[in-house]
Amino acid sequence: MQDIEILQRRVERERKARLQAEAILEEKALQLYQVNEQLRLLNENLEQQVIEGGAKLQKSEKRYRQLIESVQDIIYKISPTGYFTFVNPVVEQRLGYCPDEIIGHHFTELVVPEYREKLVNFYWEMVHFQKESTYNDFPVYKKNGEIAWIGQTVRLIEIEGNVVELVAVARDITEQVATDDALRTTQTRLSTLITNLQKGVLVEDENRKIILVNQLFCDLFEIPAPAETLIGIDCSQSAEQSKYLFINPEEFAKQINDLLAKQEICINEELHMVNGRILERDYIPIFLEGQYRGHLWKYADVTEQFLAREQIRKSEEKYRGIMNNMELGLIEVDKEDRIVRAYDRFCLMMGYTEEELIGKGASDLFLPPEFRGIFEQHQSIRSEGRATSYEVQMMKKDGSRIWVILSGAPIMDEHGNIVGSMGIHYDISARKHLEQELALAKEIAEEARQAEKQFLANMSHEIRTPLNAIIGMTHLLFDTRPSKQQYEYLDILKSSADFLHSLISDLLDMAKIEAGRIEVQNHPFDLVGLLRTTQRVFQIKLENRPIELDLMIDGRISGNYLGDDVMLNQILLNIIGNAEKFTEEGTIEMTVKLKKEDNETCWIEFKIADTGIGIPKEKLELIFQKFKQVNPQGHKHKGTGLGLSITKQLVELQGGTLTVKSYEGEGTTFTFTLPFQKSDTEIVKNDYTIEDGTANLELCNLLVVEDNIMNQRYISGLLNKWNIPFTIAIDGRKAVEQAHKQHFDIILMDIQMPNMDGYEATLTIRNTNNLNQNTPIVALTASAMIDQKNKTKSVGMNDFITKPFTPSQLLSVIQKFLKVENLPTPTPVSLPEPTSTLLDFSRLKELYGDDNEYILDMMETFLTDALPDFSEFQALINTNDWVTLSKLAHRLKPSLGMVGLTDLEKTMAEIENQARKQPEAESLQLLLNHVNTQLETGVKEIKREIEKLKL
Amino acid sequence: MKGIVFTEFLDMVEQNFGYEMVDTLLNESELPSGGIYTSIGTYNHQEMVNLLVTLNMRTKTPISQLLRTFGRYLFQRFTKIYSHLIDEAPDAFSFLGSIHNYIHVEVRKLYPDAELPHFDIEQPNANTLVMHYSSVRSMGDLAYGLIEGAMKHYGETATITQELLQEDGSQIKFVIEK
Repeated sequence: MQDIEILQRRVERERKARLQAEAILEEKALQLYQVNEQLRLLNENLEQQVIEGGAKLQKSEKRYRQLIESVQDIIYKISPTGYFTFVNPVVEQRLGYCPDEIIGHHFTELVVPEYREKLVNFYWEMVHFQKESTYNDFPVYKKNGEIAWIGQTVRLIEIEGNVVELVAVARDITEQVATDDALRTTQTRLSTLITNLQKGVLVEDENRKIILVNQLFCDLFEIPAPAETLIGIDCSQSAEQSKYLFINPEEFAKQINDLLAKQEICINEELHMVNGRILERDYIPIFLEGQYRGHLWKYADVTEQFLAREQIRKSEEKYRGIMNNMELGLIEVDKEDRIVRAYDRFCLMMGYTEEELIGKGASDLFLPPEFRGIFEQHQSIRSEGRATSYEVQMMKKDGSRIWVILSGAPIMDEHGNIVGSMGIHYDISARKHLEQELALAKEIAEEARQAEKQFLANMSHEIRTPLNAIIGMTHLLFDTRPSKQQYEYLDILKSSADFLHSLISDLLDMAKIEAGRIEVQNHPFDLVGLLRTTQRVFQIKLENRPIELDLMIDGRISGNYLGDDVMLNQILLNIIGNAEKFTEEGTIEMTVKLKKEDNETCWIEFKIADTGIGIPKEKLELIFQKFKQVNPQGHKHKGTGLGLSITKQLVELQGGTLTVKSYEGEGTTFTFTLPFQKSDTEIVKNDYTIEDGTANLELCNLLVVEDNIMNQRYISGLLNKWNIPFTIAIDGRKAVEQAHKQHFDIILMDIQMPNMDGYEATLTIRNTNNLNQNTPIVALTASAMIDQKNKTKSVGMNDFITKPFTPSQLLSVIQKFLKVENLPTPTPVSLPEPTSTLLDFSRLKELYGDDNEYILDMMETFLTDALPDFSEFQALINTNDWVTLSKLAHRLKPSLGMVGLTDLEKTMAEIENQARKQPEAESLQLLLNHVNTQLETGVKEIKREIEKLKL
Repeated sequence: MKGIVFTEFLDMVEQNFGYEMVDTLLNESELPSGGIYTSIGTYNHQEMVNLLVTLNMRTKTPISQLLRTFGRYLFQRFTKIYSHLIDEAPDAFSFLGSIHNYIHVEVRKLYPDAELPHFDIEQPNANTLVMHYSSVRSMGDLAYGLIEGAMKHYGETATITQELLQEDGSQIKFVIEK
């Protein structure tokens, strides 16, 4: 049983082993199959290769056969005596004969006759000397008669030392001969060319034997022999021999050896000769089929070109140097704005090196964005081919900026196409900096000037108000019976204040004129009247000086003219005032002429000539300039230096001209011409009727509108003195209120006031229903400025007085509107004020010593006898009886002196004097008023003195 | 290890101990192949070691003895199977000397996957041959038996001494003196 199991297992194992073996075998078989397959393929390939190899072999065989068949040469045999015994068929193809036509014939029959003898000799010799093989060429006739060149190799066929026949292989070399001919011709041509070339040429073979050399070469190298004789000469030592012709002999020799060793082309070498010539050398090795066969030397005398080039180079260097030293930075850019070239100075300017710049976009690199616009703008102009220049900022490499003037010009090529542009930069940073500083400085200066002007105007105005008070108070002080010394002090105070006042008025006028704030008025006025008034004003002023003021008026001037009378008046005052200032004695002549007249305009010429000190010629031009005074040193007159400048501007404002002529020591003449229009209308002083005030001063009533307390006091002081009742209003609004409450005879109106100014108050009073609609209004202008004066008229004011005014000015304006006969005596500013010492005691003492009785007697006599006569004056003035008046004054004058009224005596002398030369009633009236006032006081003092003396 | 070694080994066991022993070896030994061997296959060498161990336990014969016996048996089988290889050599030394450079080369052609021991041969004199055996299999005793088999085949007598060069038996020096 066990055995069976074992057996079973064994069988099982055997079976499994078999299966395993089968599987392995199957696998192996498969491998074997695959290997077999590969082997088969390999075999098949081999077979194919064998077949192909066979085919190739066949082809090559065929080729050889064809080659053999297609032999191109004529092969023939010939007997030693020269008769053809065989010839191959090629002969027919080559020469046109068929073999049968040739065989049996003598070879010379084919040869061109002139070669026959030579050829026979040649071959006889060959046979005779038994030369095994020879070569010869010669021309033969073809069957068609043409000539063909034959080159043939002939061999002897010997048998036992005897020549039996000759075998020849002949070739048609016609073409070759032709080519050789052509070659020879070319060669000849070339060598002729070389020989006659304007360059020294030397051709050597590989052994440095001369093959070719031309005469120029011999000349250059100072070789005395003719060129032809040099052929074949060995050149191996020639460099050593001729090296001394060159500035650098060793290098010359060395370079020749180097070139020969390298055998490479080397051209355009420059050689400097001792004799100053410059040679350019080319070395060209000659190779034939890769074989070195010698070389060619070519020497060109380039002295002229060299010198020209040298000159160009130097010139270029010079201009480069100039450019680089000119502080101009240059760059060249292409059409795309890429930098092509940057010059040293430019690189220095921008802080870059040229390498950093080449190829970069110039504007991208340098231009700050805000300058793009201007750049593009100019770029477009440039593209039209025009050069431009402008100022831009540029950025340096370190980021800082510089200002440059950039001038750009297009660069053109030889065809005139724009290929780029050249930018020239000039650094103007310093200048820009200066300009900016300058502009700033100018701005500051301008501001300062404006501020100064404003300051001046403000100050002038501000100064004027207290000044008015000073002047006013001074006037009042005169009335307080000051002592003689106090009187002198007051006088100085007054004149200084007056000067200060005129100075400020001038300044303000000038400021107004410069600001263009003055308008020329155009209203009708009486020109002749104006001129006469002016004359009178000055006559009064000049009454104690030996100066005559004459007025001559063209008879054609009469009636009313349209123009600015206020301005004209100021011009005249300035010029005449000036003349009066600089004239010690003589005359001031005022001549007024109608210069020309057309349809509407009259040109009136005013000429004011004085006999004063004159103006030096060289200073004539200065007088119209601001703040320029040409007073001789130490001249007693002082001024602002503005008067004439203002005058000139006022003349010009009205469309006129002002000129001056002067001779030093003889006098000065000012001439001005103004255009006026003739006016047909009568002068209407006002659009409304002004009522005359009450005749009785005590009964009249004044309204004083004034905000300044000092001025109020000044005016009140004067009015109280004159016993004139008045009301004070402190501003325009209060004035209007007062105007509604009660009637006034005159309103004195300040202009600048708080709440409501004088203009507005006047307009309100004039245009509203109130008690004072027709009351005269007198402006108290704080400034003497012309425009203000004009304005007072335009708002309906009847007159104006300029502060500070004198008591007499105030009084006369009151009188003007009150029209009273019995006036209080005014106090003229130009005359001495009445003082407590009206009686000249020193004079009395001088006259009467201490004899009081006598004085008493004289005084009583005066009161009884002389005093009543003074009342006659008024009547004489009223009747204009100047002669009687003059006599009366003359008579009464000494009486005054006898009682010690010295001042009155002087006044009386003036009256006498005035009355003699056709005076105006008003001026005498003024003097008489003065006399009356003085006399009243004087009489009181005399009476007091009499009482005193009687005691 | 080539399958022929297994099949010849089992044949030898059957011849000496009967198939019962073969059956026992195959049943008791740890054999991943399941004891199915064919001479043309290739099997894990460990299986041979396992078979030897089992046989040693069963027969109480030392493994070295078993291997030498197997070597002699195997060589005798080789002379039958591979006579064309062995007949080339005229004598034992020639044969042994040619093992590495000829026999093994030819074996590799037939069985590219065969794992063969390495032999370095020296012949200090005509009657002495030194063979350096080296193999990770450590079957020097099998080589011993094979050498003995070879000597017997050529009818030559010689003393064979072996010297362990490595304790694990991976390198052994055989000195064969005629």
